[in-house]
Amino acid sequence: MAETKKYWKGIEELTNSATVQKLAENEFNSEISTEEFLGNKEKLEESQTSRRDFLKYMGFSTAAATLAACEAPVVESIPYVVAPEEVIPGIPNYYATSYFDGHDYASILVKTREGRPIKVENNKLAAMNGGANARIHASILDLYDSTRLQKPLINGEEANWSDVDTGIKKDLNAAVSNGKQVVFLTSTVISPTTKKLIGEWAAQTNGFKHVMYDAFSYSGKLDAHSASSGKRSLPTYNFKNADVIVSFGADFLGDWVGQNVSADYASRRKPGKDMSHHVQFESNMSLTGSNADLRHKIKPSELGNALIQLYNELGGSASGGNTSVSAQVKEAAKKLRAAGSRGLVVSGTNDADVEAITIAINKLLGNGGSTIDYSKRSYLRQGDDAAMKQLVADMNSGNFGALFVDNLNPAYLMAGDSKFAEGMKKVPLTVTFAEKNNETAALSKYVCARHNYLESWGDAMPADGVYSLQQPVIRPLFNTRQTEECLMTWMGKTGSYYDYLTTNTKAPNWKKALHDGVANVSGVAAGVSAVADSTDKAGFFERVFGGSDENNTDNNVSTGAAPAADVNAAASRLSSAKGGAMEIQFYQKTGMGTGNLANNPWLQELPDPISRVSWDNYLTVAAADAVEIGLENTNESNGALNGSVVNLTVNGKTIENVPVLVQPGQAKGTVGLAVGYGRTAAGKVGNEVGVNAFALFNGSHHSTDVKIEKGIGTHGFACIQLAHTMMGRKIVNEVNLDTFLNKPAYGEGGWNEVTEFETFKGPLTSEETNLWDDFDHQTGHMWNMSIDLNLCNGCGACVIACHAENNVPVVGKEEVRKHRDMHWLRIDRYYSSDMNEEVAEEQGIGAIDMYAAMEKPSSSPEVAFQPVMCQHCNHAPCETVCPVAATSHSSEGLNHMAYNRCIGTRYCANNCPYKVRRFNWFQYEGNSKFDKNLAMNDDLGRMVLNPDVTVRARGVMEKCSMCIQRIQLGKLTAKKEGRPLKDGEVQTACQSACDTEAIVFGDVNNKDSQVFKLKQDKRMYHLLEEVGTQPSVFYQTKVRNRA
Amino acid sequence: MVFTMKHRLTERVPQTILTIILVLSSFGSFAQDYSGDAGNGKSLFNSNCASCHKLDKKMIGPALGDVTERRSKEWLVKWVKDNAALRASGDAEAKAIFEEFNGSVMPAFPNLSESDVEDILTYTIEGAKPVVDNNGGGGTGGEEVAAESDNTVILLVLGAILALLIMLLVRVKNVLKAVKGQPTSTLVQDADVITKTALKNPKIATLLTILIAIVFFQQLYLALMAVGVHENYQPEQPIAFSHKIHAGDNAIDCNYCHYGARKGKHSNIPAAGVCMNCHMNISEGPNTGKEEIAKIYAAVGWDPESSSYIEGYEQKPIKWVRIHNLPDLAYFNHSQHVTAGQVACQTCHGPIQEMEEVYQYSPLTMGWCINCHRETQVQVESNDYYAKMHEELKAKYGEDAEITVEMIGGLECGKCHY
Repeated sequence: MAETKKYWKGIEELTNSATVQKLAENEFNSEISTEEFLGNKEKLEESQTSRRDFLKYMGFSTAAATLAACEAPVVESIPYVVAPEEVIPGIPNYYATSYFDGHDYASILVKTREGRPIKVENNKLAAMNGGANARIHASILDLYDSTRLQKPLINGEEANWSDVDTGIKKDLNAAVSNGKQVVFLTSTVISPTTKKLIGEWAAQTNGFKHVMYDAFSYSGKLDAHSASSGKRSLPTYNFKNADVIVSFGADFLGDWVGQNVSADYASRRKPGKDMSHHVQFESNMSLTGSNADLRHKIKPSELGNALIQLYNELGGSASGGNTSVSAQVKEAAKKLRAAGSRGLVVSGTNDADVEAITIAINKLLGNGGSTIDYSKRSYLRQGDDAAMKQLVADMNSGNFGALFVDNLNPAYLMAGDSKFAEGMKKVPLTVTFAEKNNETAALSKYVCARHNYLESWGDAMPADGVYSLQQPVIRPLFNTRQTEECLMTWMGKTGSYYDYLTTNTKAPNWKKALHDGVANVSGVAAGVSAVADSTDKAGFFERVFGGSDENNTDNNVSTGAAPAADVNAAASRLSSAKGGAMEIQFYQKTGMGTGNLANNPWLQELPDPISRVSWDNYLTVAAADAVEIGLENTNESNGALNGSVVNLTVNGKTIENVPVLVQPGQAKGTVGLAVGYGRTAAGKVGNEVGVNAFALFNGSHHSTDVKIEKGIGTHGFACIQLAHTMMGRKIVNEVNLDTFLNKPAYGEGGWNEVTEFETFKGPLTSEETNLWDDFDHQTGHMWNMSIDLNLCNGCGACVIACHAENNVPVVGKEEVRKHRDMHWLRIDRYYSSDMNEEVAEEQGIGAIDMYAAMEKPSSSPEVAFQPVMCQHCNHAPCETVCPVAATSHSSEGLNHMAYNRCIGTRYCANNCPYKVRRFNWFQYEGNSKFDKNLAMNDDLGRMVLNPDVTVRARGVMEKCSMCIQRIQLGKLTAKKEGRPLKDGEVQTACQSACDTEAIVFGDVNNKDSQVFKLKQDKRMYHLLEEVGTQPSVFYQTKVRNRA
Repeated sequence: MVFTMKHRLTERVPQTILTIILVLSSFGSFAQDYSGDAGNGKSLFNSNCASCHKLDKKMIGPALGDVTERRSKEWLVKWVKDNAALRASGDAEAKAIFEEFNGSVMPAFPNLSESDVEDILTYTIEGAKPVVDNNGGGGTGGEEVAAESDNTVILLVLGAILALLIMLLVRVKNVLKAVKGQPTSTLVQDADVITKTALKNPKIATLLTILIAIVFFQQLYLALMAVGVHENYQPEQPIAFSHKIHAGDNAIDCNYCHYGARKGKHSNIPAAGVCMNCHMNISEGPNTGKEEIAKIYAAVGWDPESSSYIEGYEQKPIKWVRIHNLPDLAYFNHSQHVTAGQVACQTCHGPIQEMEEVYQYSPLTMGWCINCHRETQVQVESNDYYAKMHEELKAKYGEDAEITVEMIGGLECGKCHY
């Protein structure tokens, strides 16, 4: 017997730290495959099954299987007893509704099949927030979450509604008659009808108070606007008109004040003379910062001073303004001065002083009515931190009778303030309205199981004049009630909330509004405030819904100078604020937001657009700081990413073992940590994923009181990107606006030069040197897709849309770590490097050193996003290597994949230069080992599957089909109607999810099609053109508007 | 199945004769000249009358095949245009017929002109004639069944004759041997000797082995290829629904019940509500009487006695057994074939209109699909969708080429597998 040597994986294993032990235990805890079993000699020897037995079993099971297969299947087919008129099996119906979870708002369309909602689509009729973000696209899966509450709870036990109603009414009466406070704590409420109902409740309940609190609060911002305009609401921003955008820490493309501005922003990012110029000052690398033309690193504590400097540069005079980026601010000021009223300055903190200066700057620019609309107020953020603070104090004081919590999870959000949970225990009546058991529900006496938004009626007024309706698209799955119905029951109102809604709706034409999902109600907002005022005892409503009328002069007023005294006071406070040696900036990850949908596996597995890490949050650290503290990221031999851990102390509170990710572009002396993770009562998917940043939070989005101590052990990340730079290649072709406008695209040295090869015939392009016979692509359709890298901001909505449309499985963290993620569409992110061929030549650096240096991202990198799906090559490398012809070419320019023909050799994936083919390593459907794949592992979850797309079995390759089911459907519709197919009629899932219109799909044989025109654009290039694959997908060169 | 068909045949014959006699001998009291347009009459009949009347059967209203014999033209016109007025005028016949049909009210048709009514009545005469032919067709069907059983008898008789011949020959041989003084042998002994000699011959043994192997492997191959193929699958359904009566005899359009086939992916099994469109009035059928139709009533909660729905009834969906089970990996869209391709239902589902109980007619294998896609022509001429493509295809395959599904990419994997 050979000697068994033991090799250590690292020094940690030798020292046998607790983390390593835990990791080692977890390594094979999923006993799934026979390979693992057979690979384990001991286990194999222990087994009593001999080879003969094995053959016996095999023979028997083969025979049994054959016999079983001969039996005719008895499949029941149960039609309706009385079929609803609008449901024709196999034909989807679309219903317009609205999504609002207290944080995200969008007007959406919901696709239903045979009565089951299966997909969210953008509502193109919406005047505001018609583009759903990744979270809203994924929200459909939450409807079918088997961990949803199916009944109301009393003290954690399932109960029936009549007991709940009786109990609550009794306790509530007791609280009122004892003269105690009754508080209704909610997220921001944007439904005027719900507000009216709450108002009526307030009128009939003594001691009633309605408190709104936002998870990631902009209360300070609201206060500043309240001081400047008398209305505690935010203006709406019009990025369409902005020539110059200067953002101070505002991640407006990711998560900001709720208004979705990405489409407007993108409309000015098309290269040309009127392309906008975007400067970003920030500490964390945000989605917005990565899209900026110029990005400057700054500490969060310096933002105020930078704004003061800008204010002074633009003609203001306030004290302070010294920062490390004064030159850059000066430059930005120059641009803003030139742009005047077409400039826009936005800031991102929850600090009233910062916002006061921002308001003052915008007033100096005179952009009211142009890039900022003060008359059209946005109501998406109304939370009041002071009221919340008061609430916590009141709860602890004991003068508290009842607490009702709706659409908010304060026990999780206030994890840093133990007083909340303590106070809640002192309240005699605690009621939580919740769809799922959450941290707050766990502390409540009564939990009222709430409808999902897809089962509820409602309306929303996200801003003045903008009104949208919410309608149920499925009958309630469980014995649940929507909040408003509960309130009406307790208030003793008769009728349903539907009746109440139709009576009180702001829609001028109910049926049309219901059909469109939205209605234009300009001038109606004033009515909202009137209703609220008359009933609101706490005097809260007039601060919100301040009302706007036709003769609004807000925008005129705002052009005048701001009261200098206010600005000076704010400036003096800001300039005297001290920074810390290390500062932390809290942020929201694109996939998770504030953690409302933490139990959504699609979102957990969505790689963060910047870090490309899924299933985690982490402390983002600048490379220089990492070296100083001794933190590092390393890759294992299989490409899995590991990171050091730290003990993080912020505001005197500590979280241990926070994983560290070295983030290029992170300002030195700052770290970032995403909120929304570390849920403890979210469900099997979301529990214990990451750490809860809210535990360190005290309302401010940043803190200067940070201590970082290196922890012991390492953390395993699920990061799907290994190479972070382009190594000097033209993967994302990028050019400056100046060059784009004035220099030739093609030819020697052109910015979109086509690679040529030296041949005996002279230099030839890859197209001219190919060895293959061409397919006939002149006949019939020829599908092509254009992806505009200038319009794509990396938001990831397309990735989720693809998940939902194509039944893409979720594989879980351990598998993603092994790069076995199944995304058909990924958004590659590239950092620029400080090294390039010119620099190397200048400094006399050799090729090997040069390429080594090129691998390192710059510490202030420029970032580019590139969505990559199957490129549908017309000379496809995958097709030629498949031994069973499972992947083949279509006459319409697509690369087909026949799953049932595939035998899983994976040659195709190995031969694919784009690495877009995904292999089903396991059976993800109906497999308890992959129970986090909610959409495929119980009957409830399966209801979300798209019935037109196969659920793939283990051992087959899959990839983007260009939504062939949609193409076929579009063609069929045209055939049935006997007319030619219209351009734009067929949209892929990613395209329809993209509200910036970065993705355009169509038939290039139709010379009038948009995609045909885009193919002729001089920005057009193919990814890895030199390989000669002739893809059907092409990209539009990214153009940056730098001076 | 044979039984039921025979059963129906015996039932139909007297009925047929009756109809023939009725039609032929019907120049009775009200024989009048009807010279309307039977074609127009047919379409008017179908759109206005057919939901309550048939020509040869009593439905909600009486059978109309011989109505012109029973009533005068003037009376009929008055009745059709406004029967309530006729009844109100005190017409005894009108009152009597109203009573006979339990007071079912026939709507007034003031929009029909006198000539329209005459057209309809002409159709009731003309349209009643083919009924005779139909029943004649039914008769030949019955003969075919008889012929089939005759074949077996003939084969059996032939077999018996053959056995007799062999016995005779053996007897003759033994007699001859006995005459020659050789020992006789029985048939069994002979067979034994022949087999042993043959098996000792290596050539024959090899040949036999090869033969057996070929047969074995052929059978094995066929058996394996038949795994998952359920041609002729005919499960027992919860209701003995006869497509022959509905689609065949009554010629109800397939799309009336399976309305999804034209519009969407699925050819839906109709909801019980669809059945009720007709069965509200037909509670008894020719095959099984009231028994099977009562199952529909049990599903929807209909009380045939009071002709009304039972209030608060908990409806029970009918659990049909699915016959055509295409695997999930293949995408099949009915409307693609029915509407866009103009393919008749029978192409895949076989003579549905003759099936008492439906069985799977086609193998539903990929080879079967592909074969049809190779042979079937695309409706390029009549559909504007193909206009541009057709020009391109003509340039590619020649001006007169027949454009098959294959030529427009109908054999590509991704067209059905995604």
